[in-house]
Amino acid sequence: MADATAVAAAASSRDPATGLAAVSSLRTLLESLEELQVRNARDQGWSWQQIADGLSVSRQAVHKKYRRHIL
Amino acid sequence: MFERFTEPARRVVVLAQEDARERGDRTIGSEHLLLGLCRASDTRGAALLAARGVTVTTVEEDLRRSAPPEGPPLPDRDALASVGIDLDEVRDRIEEAFGPGALESTRAAGRDRRRLWGHIPFERGAKKVLELALREAIRRGDRSIGSEHILLGLLHEETGRSSGLLHARGLTLRGIRAALDVWPSAM
Repeated sequence: MADATAVAAAASSRDPATGLAAVSSLRTLLESLEELQVRNARDQGWSWQQIADGLSVSRQAVHKKYRRHIL
Repeated sequence: MFERFTEPARRVVVLAQEDARERGDRTIGSEHLLLGLCRASDTRGAALLAARGVTVTTVEEDLRRSAPPEGPPLPDRDALASVGIDLDEVRDRIEEAFGPGALESTRAAGRDRRRLWGHIPFERGAKKVLELALREAIRRGDRSIGSEHILLGLLHEETGRSSGLLHARGLTLRGIRAALDVWPSAM
C-alpha cells in the first residue's frame, strides 16, 4: 500500500459513493480473475464440470457464461 | 438527427462530451450540455445565457453547490484500495502467472475500460434535451437545430439538472422563446 493512512481512512468511510465504487471495482476485478482462471483451466484440459466444481456453481452456469469466448 | 444540427449546435454536443470525459463522468447529462453551450462562446445560445449572467463559472458553481446525483467515480485503483486491495499487487501476481497485460486483456476489464475511457453514453435527460431542441425548432419553423434550440431544450423540466439550474438563475422557457421572437433565423 502506498499510503496506509489514506487507505485506512477510505476503508472506514461511510460515504456511499466510496463504498459503492469499491464494490463495483471488486466485481470487475472478480470477473477478470474468473475469466483468466476459467481460460487457464480449459487450456489445461479441465472439463466444464471440473471448473464448475472449482467455482462452486453449476456446470450449466459456467458453460453458458464462457462457452462463446472460451473453447 | 445530428444531420439537422447547425455547426455551432454540433460543437455544443462535442464540448459536452469533452466536459463529461474531463470530469470522469460516466454519462452525459443535461448539465454537460449546458456547460457545452456556455463554452461554445460565439453561439447564439451562449450569448442568450451570457446576457442573463449564466457562464461556465456560474454553472460550475451551481453544480458544486447542488448535491451531485452521485459522487465522482473513483478510479479502480483508489476504489479497491479503499477496501484494502492493492490493484498493482494483484496485477503483479497475475502477470507472474499469466504474462504481461493478462488482467487488462480480459473481457471484464475491457468493459470497464470502455466505460471509463471510450464512448460516453447520453443520459435519458440529455437525449430529451436534443429531442426537445428538435421540437422547438419545428415549432418555430426553423429548418435546422441551432444552439438556441438546445437552450430551449435545456429549459424543459423533464431534462434533468439543467432546467433547475437555469430556473434558479431566472431563465424561463417563455422568456427565451420571447427573446428569440425578436431575433430571427437559426445560427
